[in-house]
Amino acid sequence: MTIEVTRSACVGAGQCVLVADDLFDQDDDGLVMLIEEDPREDRVDSARRAASLCPARAIQVRE
Amino acid sequence: MTDPSSPADHIRCPVTGYTLPSDGTPLQPSPFFAERRQDGRVHPLRYADGHVGKLVTDHALARAVLSDQRFSQLPRRFPLGPADPAPPSVTADDLRALASGDLLILDGAKHDRIRKTIRSRFTVKAARGHRETIRAIAAEQVDILLAQPKPADLTEHVAEPISARVHAHVLGIPAERVQDYIQHYVHGSSAQATVDFVREIVGYRRTEPGDNVISDLVDSGLTDDEVVGLAAVLMSSGRDSVAYTIATTTVALLTHPEQRQRLTDNPSVAPAVIEEFMRYSTMFVALFPRTATEDLEIDGVRFQAGDSVSVSPVSANRDAERFPEPERFDLGRDAFGHLAFGFGPHGCAGQQLARVEITEAIGALFSRVPSLALVDAEQLRPLPFAHVVPTYRAGAVVVDW
Repeated sequence: MTIEVTRSACVGAGQCVLVADDLFDQDDDGLVMLIEEDPREDRVDSARRAASLCPARAIQVRE
Repeated sequence: MTDPSSPADHIRCPVTGYTLPSDGTPLQPSPFFAERRQDGRVHPLRYADGHVGKLVTDHALARAVLSDQRFSQLPRRFPLGPADPAPPSVTADDLRALASGDLLILDGAKHDRIRKTIRSRFTVKAARGHRETIRAIAAEQVDILLAQPKPADLTEHVAEPISARVHAHVLGIPAERVQDYIQHYVHGSSAQATVDFVREIVGYRRTEPGDNVISDLVDSGLTDDEVVGLAAVLMSSGRDSVAYTIATTTVALLTHPEQRQRLTDNPSVAPAVIEEFMRYSTMFVALFPRTATEDLEIDGVRFQAGDSVSVSPVSANRDAERFPEPERFDLGRDAFGHLAFGFGPHGCAGQQLARVEITEAIGALFSRVPSLALVDAEQLRPLPFAHVVPTYRAGAVVVDW
């Protein structure tokens, strides 16, 4: 299970940080930064949730 | 023309298009929206200039339209008001400046270039960095409310001043000019006086930079026009919606004692609770319309080039497909994914700040004033739309304690 982010698509809405601030952060420009690209099993649902809430589809969770 | 033998078709698809219903309240949307969600995914909507465009009422399609860059913010067309709203009466130089930085009428790369200059000020971390200041402002305003003769208007003494003072603080309007800001933007003044005020504040921050948005803007590489236009849109956007949400959420809590009890039992307002406040008290009956720039299809729904499309966050946030039992105000639900802040590249830039403001305002009110009780609220009755974009204003919320 890995998380990928597409920073060029990010619009800086911050939804990912709201629901999973142990996996995602925002840099000084407000763009997504991946803290943990290989989340523990119990964080996978949060990663998927962040991906589904992202208004720019900038987060992908891959099997 | 409709076929008279099939009246149901007439209801589904009136040739002239629907007009937006005026029988909703901020907490009880018009039944029109639940009916539309039952009878299809897009609905003909008549705009003030006679254009018959489309209204989107379900959550999934609303989300898809708002994040699809094949829609433009132009032409600026409204479902209410005059066919062609007059431009503000300001000088030609001011009109040009206002348009150049107005995020609401820009698309694509130009929009992104301008919006990028403010993103760092509105991250989750930056917004939370203002929490102590916001908490102090909220506490002061609750004290001011409690100093009033009873009953008193919570919108006037708490909701409006908290949103205006925080807005001013974050943008960089100096303390001694906050009352003028409130005069221009809350009480209202002429368009020219308002833009003169924006220019004055921008000029001040050129010589007296500080740790705030406008100081960033003057140093961002934007043109002088773009700085003034963006500063103007930031001074006006979001302030009234935060006031509205504080006022409307208070009414929701005071009319749902069991939910209020949940809040009282857990006074540190949890992040998920804020999302339910936003979902249930959504301000925008419809957003600024988007217009399809080409023939396109989303999820089997077709839009033609030139179709103006209004998305209804109020309706999408009551879509049972996304939020089970949507009419229930339930602080225990997962309300993330609501569209109260819009969605996509034009979603509310200040939404993280708004979350902190609403958290602190509601937290201060209900922890400091356990006896707070509703006497009356304009929001319990249908209100006229406040703008050519269909929203409500924060009506008077009269409380006792």
